[in-house]
Amino acid sequence: MPDVNRAAPRLGRSYSLLLVGVDHHKADLALRERASYASDEAEDVLVQLLTRPEIAEAALLSTCNRTELYLRWHEEKTALQTALGTVFAPRAPELVEEGRYYVCHGEEAVHHLLSVASGTESMVLGEPEILGQVRQAGGLAKSIGTTGAFLDQLFRSAALTGRRVRGETSIGTGAVSLGSAVVELAANIFNGLDGRRALLLGAGDAARLMAHALTDRGLGSIVVTNRSEDRLKAFVDSIPGLQPAPWTERLRLSAESDLIAVATGAQQPILGRSELASVMRRRQSRPLLIADLAVPRNVDPAAADIDNLFLHPIDSLQGLIQRNLEQRRREVARVQEIVDEEVTRFTQWYRSLDAEPIVAALQKRAEKIRKHELENALGRFPAELHDDLERLTRSLVRKILHHPSTTLRSGSADSNLAELDVARRLFHLGEDLDSDD
Amino acid sequence: MDSLINAANVVLPTAYLAAAVGYATLFYARSARGGLVGSICFRAALVLHLGFLILLTLRWKQYPAATVAQALTVTAFAVAIVYLFLEWYGRERSTGLWILSLVFLFQLLSSLTWSAPPPNLKAFHSSWFGVHVTLALFGYAAFTLSGGYGFLFLRLYRELKLGRFQTFFNRLPPLEVLDRMMTGALVSGFILFSGAIVAGAAWAESLSLTRWFDDPWSIVTLATWLFYGAALALRRLRRWQARQTAVASLVGIAAILASLLVVNSVTSGFHGFN
Repeated sequence: MPDVNRAAPRLGRSYSLLLVGVDHHKADLALRERASYASDEAEDVLVQLLTRPEIAEAALLSTCNRTELYLRWHEEKTALQTALGTVFAPRAPELVEEGRYYVCHGEEAVHHLLSVASGTESMVLGEPEILGQVRQAGGLAKSIGTTGAFLDQLFRSAALTGRRVRGETSIGTGAVSLGSAVVELAANIFNGLDGRRALLLGAGDAARLMAHALTDRGLGSIVVTNRSEDRLKAFVDSIPGLQPAPWTERLRLSAESDLIAVATGAQQPILGRSELASVMRRRQSRPLLIADLAVPRNVDPAAADIDNLFLHPIDSLQGLIQRNLEQRRREVARVQEIVDEEVTRFTQWYRSLDAEPIVAALQKRAEKIRKHELENALGRFPAELHDDLERLTRSLVRKILHHPSTTLRSGSADSNLAELDVARRLFHLGEDLDSDD
Repeated sequence: MDSLINAANVVLPTAYLAAAVGYATLFYARSARGGLVGSICFRAALVLHLGFLILLTLRWKQYPAATVAQALTVTAFAVAIVYLFLEWYGRERSTGLWILSLVFLFQLLSSLTWSAPPPNLKAFHSSWFGVHVTLALFGYAAFTLSGGYGFLFLRLYRELKLGRFQTFFNRLPPLEVLDRMMTGALVSGFILFSGAIVAGAAWAESLSLTRWFDDPWSIVTLATWLFYGAALALRRLRRWQARQTAVASLVGIAAILASLLVVNSVTSGFHGFN
């Protein structure tokens, strides 16, 4: 949710930008589910919005944690009502009640989208998926033509911010779920997971979590075993890529595995120290990682002293997750700096679209070229012609620039953003706009 | 020339220290800029070091390994060169702080124990001497690297074993890679050292030296060779795991350093032949 108390960087002219949204702070999962839009649904609603005269551009960001509509408006108040009535009310009327949704205007909305892309607004701080979702939202709106120069640039800035944040800070590093914590431990022990063997003991929720975390990691095999064969069969059938094995084979399988996750409902240890010592002898003491996800513990804690056996009960994994979350929280200040920098950069781009600075820069550029060419040419003409040449070239430049200048000045910046942006890029005016000379 | 040599004895440890500090900021603060500064200092130090060794060779017209101080600086250079290769080959700089700290330590000890001029014996102009010291000093460099990687292995092993994820977790190559580097360095060191002993025997033969066992450094060399040979054999026979090999690597390099300093205090030359 946007922090309205935080001081956003001071910008020049305010944007005609509006954000209306709901997220995990404002709405529970059931409400968010109703407010979420699949791609084809988003296309329909965006096209519908663009038919309204008060809306100039529109893009919709819809994820499992948020649904946010970004609008560039011609008339702000009506645009807000249209947004609520078109996007949120049809899905869940209670969403448009006061306090259920949030609204941001202008620079605050820019800051919010850039923060969202950086992962600081996510339910799990720094989660990586949001960046792809922001890119998708911008891409979808652009592909169906509901965005113009302004929102295109805004979503490009958001994607760039997300990339910078992930490249320059550690906000996205370190596991923050049990499954990924086990994978992170494995990455510190083994030289890659390709071809490694994993064994899951148990077929409950924790084992399911591990199975999901381990699939698509390039492991050679993921074998599952469980006391109840019926449950084992249902478990293996529900997740592709798992191999079932009889419970009686668990010690042989343990010796062949590099990573074991234990998560049964047993009240006593199912892997004792002596059994694991025997397992380690059979695997000639190659490193073995055991994650004991069960409570009460399923692996004898005394096994922790066996060489090259890395036994991590659930407390150890939780400790790792807490450490990683703390590290991510420490990065938030640096992330905010990057977001502020990118908001400033976006503002500079937006300011550069004012007609007057662009016209001035264009004239300055043309004058510079005129003077340069004239200086080169004067030597080849008699002195008595120099004044005539001066007048002639001035007149030429003035006449060539007259029509482009009046066209650029003819509309307000908001109504001809695209033309201004094209002019700025066509004549490479960015540097001239930033410099004083 | 002597003033240049004296200056290098100050500049070189300083440059390696600066490189280690740069790599420290990369390791602890994940500062890319610090890492870049460290890399630049490291490469500059290497160039200076190469010039220093050439200068020593020209100045005394013999291979620069006639004294313990000279041997230490050549070993530091060899460790640095091998690390540069590993950094380039593995695109991995997280171990730089630790390996360059060892390079700095060797270079500092060399500078502190520096004494000129070195003994100018006929023995030091023999071609066997060149082969012997080259193999021996690169062997020491390999043992030093093995000790460095052994230290890192033990630190990461401890954090993973105890579930105390602090300094080394997620900042180093995985245990298996550290083990491979440590053991690889150990095997290389042992092979080089074996070659050095054979070349040393040939060198002694060419000088008609028969009472080699009177020479303290020859005894230390043989003891070192036996120690590392035993460590490798125990690992090969699976009596030892990576952890015990890492401890042996650390003990080995500490013992070599201590022996060098003790021998240096009792003899003026590297071997006691003079």
